[in-house]
Amino acid sequence: MALLTLEEVQKVYQQGKVDVPALRGIDLVINQGAFTSIAGPSGSGKSTLLNIVGCLDRPTSGTVYLEEEKINGLSQDELAMLRRHNLGFIFQDFNLIPVLNVYENVEFALRLVIERKEFNIQEQVMNILKSVGLGELADRRPNELSGGQKQRVSIARALVKHPKLVLADEPTANLDSETSQEVLKVMLEMNQKLDTTFIFSTHDPLVMDYAKRLIKLKDGEIIEDNCRYD
Amino acid sequence: MFLFRLALKNLTRHKRRVLITASIIAVGIALFLIYDSVQLGLNRLSFNNIRNLETGHLQVVNKNYWQKRDKVPLDNLISEDKKLMQIINSISDYQAAAPQLKFSANLNNGIDELPVVVYGIEPNKYQQVFMTGKYLIEGEMLESGEYEAVLGKRLAELMEFKLGDYITLVFRNNQRTFNTIDAKITGLIHTNNPTINNNFVYIPLDITQRSLNLENKVSQIVIRLNQVETVKKTKQELSTKLAATKNDLEAHSWRDFAGEVIAMSKAETAEKVTIMGLILLIAAVGIVNTIILSSLERIKEIGMMKALGLKEREIILIFIMEAAGIGFIGGVIGSFLGGIFILYLNINGIDLTSLIGNVSDWGLPVMGKLYAVWNFKAFIFVIVFGVIISVVASILPARWAAKKDPVEAIYGNHN
Repeated sequence: MALLTLEEVQKVYQQGKVDVPALRGIDLVINQGAFTSIAGPSGSGKSTLLNIVGCLDRPTSGTVYLEEEKINGLSQDELAMLRRHNLGFIFQDFNLIPVLNVYENVEFALRLVIERKEFNIQEQVMNILKSVGLGELADRRPNELSGGQKQRVSIARALVKHPKLVLADEPTANLDSETSQEVLKVMLEMNQKLDTTFIFSTHDPLVMDYAKRLIKLKDGEIIEDNCRYD
Repeated sequence: MFLFRLALKNLTRHKRRVLITASIIAVGIALFLIYDSVQLGLNRLSFNNIRNLETGHLQVVNKNYWQKRDKVPLDNLISEDKKLMQIINSISDYQAAAPQLKFSANLNNGIDELPVVVYGIEPNKYQQVFMTGKYLIEGEMLESGEYEAVLGKRLAELMEFKLGDYITLVFRNNQRTFNTIDAKITGLIHTNNPTINNNFVYIPLDITQRSLNLENKVSQIVIRLNQVETVKKTKQELSTKLAATKNDLEAHSWRDFAGEVIAMSKAETAEKVTIMGLILLIAAVGIVNTIILSSLERIKEIGMMKALGLKEREIILIFIMEAAGIGFIGGVIGSFLGGIFILYLNINGIDLTSLIGNVSDWGLPVMGKLYAVWNFKAFIFVIVFGVIISVVASILPARWAAKKDPVEAIYGNHN
């Protein structure tokens, strides 16, 4: 079942008077439960593609569908609500809030979706923290964590609200290979356990190895789309 | 609620910066509170002095006399009859009444002359209405029927008089012919009202009436009430009663006599507004600066929050709550600091003479020690004011922060 559909998506940035194309007519379908890696050299357009899919940026032309919903024409507030309920983000720099502890960083994402008091937020947060192996570190502040632990918090924050799609931009870029492997295992486990769709942008061969589908971009075009396990 | 918690926690990020911004607000607020309490103290002192030493609470005067009162005329006076006194005695909250005959004269010491205002008073009644007797520093008060005078020690020193000396008052009576009163100084006073100390001479009423050829006539009847708070209501009551029976007379409250001092008090209120304006400006600059710095430092975080699905107005709300927190901290610290100073000034007072010389030069009838007055409403007002100003000042920078493009915020540029 198609979760995400891109039709003829183009993105052109303006640098002064010069048009710089970042994406040149991308057609792409991502299915529910996919574990997909978008790879390519710097400037290939992978982050731009991820931003458009993540509703953080708008395409210059073309259409993006999340499930059946066309997202091109949505207002800023509608896009915010769409991100809040359907999307999770994992950033290269983790982007955790330093004044909140591990538990609160994850709770933040869930509170945005659920305001009801009767809903057991604590249980939800602790379950996801245990799933990523951070059950014991819930009280720690981000500055008391290693890079790998921070990225696990970031994963937990993205997954706690059970989004349809998780977008990870270079999730292993700031991690050593051993930690990268641990983090990828956690994400793969979540993908299998929760059937959450993952899309990564990366040029880390390790991430590419883990991906079930590998899409390679060059100069804003898909040059290779390799479904390995789907 | 979570956003509120987050905003509170954000205040702990840069404690020193928050404290500096809050301190700037606090200093402004403390200065305002001290100024406010001193001004209230000054008003209370000057109004008390006017009521207790010059005007009483209410006065009954002839309507035409009231028009020309500044010239201290000797026509359009009041006959102190039984019916009038019955009306005065019948007003609610009545405590005492005293007639006085007021006129201009020159005080002569044989060499020099100085213009003064002479008050013909009935000593016993006068002391029931006024507190001048409490300020007697030498000698004693007057006795009716005796050629005696009480005057300010400062005036006496200026004219080189001492207790027991005879003064000569030179004046024109109501027929415009010159007359004099020679009276023995039986008492010297030193009040908190410099006007009295420098310009007034008190003589028994019967002596002045005889010398002015104004038997049974007085300029006004001064009334003291049990409570100053009832002045307005009682003035209305008295006016109504006078209109019915003595329609050439009217009642005036001390406020009608103290117009200049009240006007000065209002001018001080304008000064207070100016001080608040300055605090507003200082607070606004501090808050704008803090919010801009915070948003620049947290630009990636703003991008992340947008990615999490926060709407712009929710991000604005976080920054506004932070600013409100800074304003509140500033308000509380300012109130605490101001409170300490006010407590000190409330207990120990300020010696006005040693601090700023003769306050009468400013036109205020005050001398001696000034005590600050607690105004608890002002404390609540400044804390609320600090929060409101901080909130208002933070709206634009918060909007600026929240409007950041999420991609720019997260990555710094497009790639």
